[in-house]
Amino acid sequence: MSLRLSRLTLVLGVLLACASVQAQETAAYFKQNCMSCHTIGGGKLTGPDLKGVTERKDREWLTSFIVNPKAKVDSGDAYALQLLDEARGVVMPTIAGIDAEQAGFLLDLIEAESALEESQFKGIQISNEPFTQKDIDTGLAIFTGRQSLKNGGPACFSCHNAPGVGVLGGGRLDPVKADLTKVYERLQGRTVLSTWLMSPATPTMQSIFKNASLEKDEIYSLVAYFENSAQHGEVGQASAQLTFALFGIVGAALALVLFDVIWNGRFVAVRRPLVDSEKL
Amino acid sequence: MNVRSQLSMIFHLDKCIGCHTCSIACKNIWTDRKGTDYMWWNNVETKPGTGFPSKWEDQEKYKGGWEKHNGTIRLKSTGKARIIPNIFHNPNMPSMDDYYEPWTYDYQNLFNAPEGPDQPTARPISMITGDYIDVESGPNWDDDLGGSSIYAKNDPNLEGLSEEQRQQLFAIEQLVFFYFPRICNHCMNPACVASCPSGALYKRGEDGVVLVDQKRCRAWRSCVAACPYKKVYYNWFTGKSEKCILCFPRVETGQAPACFHSCVGRIRYLGVILYDADRIEEVSNLPQEELIEGQRSLILDPSDPHVIEEARKNGIAESTIKSAQNSPSYKFIKEWKIALPPHIEYRTLPNLFYVPPMSPVIAEQKAGGLDSITEDLFHDISSSRIPMKFLANLFGGGQEGKVSYALRKQKAVRWYRRAVTVGDVSMELAERMLKEANCTIEEAQEIYELTSLCTFEDRFVIPPAHREEAVEALKDPLEHKQSTGFGFLTGPKRGM
Repeated sequence: MSLRLSRLTLVLGVLLACASVQAQETAAYFKQNCMSCHTIGGGKLTGPDLKGVTERKDREWLTSFIVNPKAKVDSGDAYALQLLDEARGVVMPTIAGIDAEQAGFLLDLIEAESALEESQFKGIQISNEPFTQKDIDTGLAIFTGRQSLKNGGPACFSCHNAPGVGVLGGGRLDPVKADLTKVYERLQGRTVLSTWLMSPATPTMQSIFKNASLEKDEIYSLVAYFENSAQHGEVGQASAQLTFALFGIVGAALALVLFDVIWNGRFVAVRRPLVDSEKL
Repeated sequence: MNVRSQLSMIFHLDKCIGCHTCSIACKNIWTDRKGTDYMWWNNVETKPGTGFPSKWEDQEKYKGGWEKHNGTIRLKSTGKARIIPNIFHNPNMPSMDDYYEPWTYDYQNLFNAPEGPDQPTARPISMITGDYIDVESGPNWDDDLGGSSIYAKNDPNLEGLSEEQRQQLFAIEQLVFFYFPRICNHCMNPACVASCPSGALYKRGEDGVVLVDQKRCRAWRSCVAACPYKKVYYNWFTGKSEKCILCFPRVETGQAPACFHSCVGRIRYLGVILYDADRIEEVSNLPQEELIEGQRSLILDPSDPHVIEEARKNGIAESTIKSAQNSPSYKFIKEWKIALPPHIEYRTLPNLFYVPPMSPVIAEQKAGGLDSITEDLFHDISSSRIPMKFLANLFGGGQEGKVSYALRKQKAVRWYRRAVTVGDVSMELAERMLKEANCTIEEAQEIYELTSLCTFEDRFVIPPAHREEAVEALKDPLEHKQSTGFGFLTGPKRGM
């Protein structure tokens, strides 16, 4: 009897463990793929708040939408078109490799999280109070790497450019997109920007920040900095590149002068100057 | 005492006629290969002149040899710490222009030129680029004062001469020059050996010949910069440095090196000296004016029983000790003190010594013939046409006393021989001259014989090399002989 019971406990335990592993994986999946546009109970970002979405639409419709949003929009579905309108024309991207099973898991997760008082996917809530100069300065320090990120992520500076980071500018991983001067405007303000920073959704950033996510206060400072730069900064790409080239030329010239001073006693030529001096 | 044996060389400059036979003998044997075309292990320079490479004696530019530093000596060109920042580019390397661009001639043009109004010529072709070039410089470009307004005028040994002395030196009536043949000095304290980062240069234990191991050389060229005499050359074809090997394959078989053997004026002498290696560091450190005496004190008397005993302890063969006792070099350097080292101030302690040249007698054209300017048969050495200061810069480490001693003795021997053979000079005067020059009649006779009547055997006292014994330490000599036959350096072996 006790043997049977313990066997049962074991089997149930394994099953439960499987379920919880599945839940954890889905949560990570959600974080990586959905959170830059959606919250659960945190309000609308680019996409709608997903709290209680399973009550608004049936699972079949939702599954087909998640698996291929564009097809649903193209099919002229009324609700899909309404969503498109609310998202100001942004079609939800199709997540690579997603299938109906994965969509099912996602819906399970959303349903479970919607039932909670406060979901872990509520997103970051930033007040509407104006940022102080201190917040902006901290943001700049984080951007340039003078203040290192708590979880060990690399400084934004290594791939991105923004105003106020110095004459040489920041990194230019992509000549256009890596300039973050106007990112605050591109992402339509505090909420989206901060949520985006919570789980960056581009493949490059995702792989870097997957295990080194930003802390809430770091995101707050960065948003402060980006808001400030969007208001006052100029996208200064061309001039920064020119400055960089000029710095290179001047630096090389200075290095040559320095070498000449250090190796001033080097052997140059003996016979040629003798002959030349007599020709004059 | 740490006795070493060393093959030491004497060049008697008063006999050199500047024929370059030595240079050609050397070139034909050793440096007619590709990449060695510009090398002159033996070369003959005209003094005053800038030599080969141009102004090699100017160590402010070439940075050769040793310099005093914090109470000890260090290489002027490099060092353990200084080599690091210069690892990709040695800043003290002479350029090709300071040697010369080696060339050959387009001889085929003499035969194949199309018919025309002019004689066909053989135009010079660079052996580096293969293009036609205008030859601008060569290894003896300033020979016999050629281009003296450029070259002779800039001889570094003219330093310390007054403007008046310089003008006199180049005045037509006074014009004078002498020849300065040079080979590797096989120094006791060689800068090239000290500078090599690969340890490719070494000084042979048995006779002190300095060699470059062609397998270990890694083309750093530190030796080229470090040698103050610029006698290590870089072979641009093999990528290895090369230098005078004192014809060791000839010396080991009892023959004089090719340049010695071929010398028309019989100016060259070769013999063993024994020296105390323990005191090299101490002597290299001496103040400049004490260097010549210091080096002389390193050279040991080969007849001293204590020296002989110590030499035996160091494994020096009996035949070598006997050879050292008959060495002409020992007599010239130590007994007569008329042979002097070139530029001892570089502190490498060279083993090639020069008997400084007497200047030709000044004569002037008078009705009926030439007449000597001086009353005496030979003018006083202090009124030599070559300023004493010039010779002192070259051979005396700046000290005129050492040079005038050697010249005075040579002149006294002349007076003495004049009294003996011609008799128009009284023996009394000759003896007085000898006494003033610190020379006995026996010594004068010996100097005369070794200078004027010397045979091969007198000039070249070469010890047996005992090569068979050297091999014995590793292998049965007979087996060694059989297994490395047919011209292989290392014998053929089974397998790949």
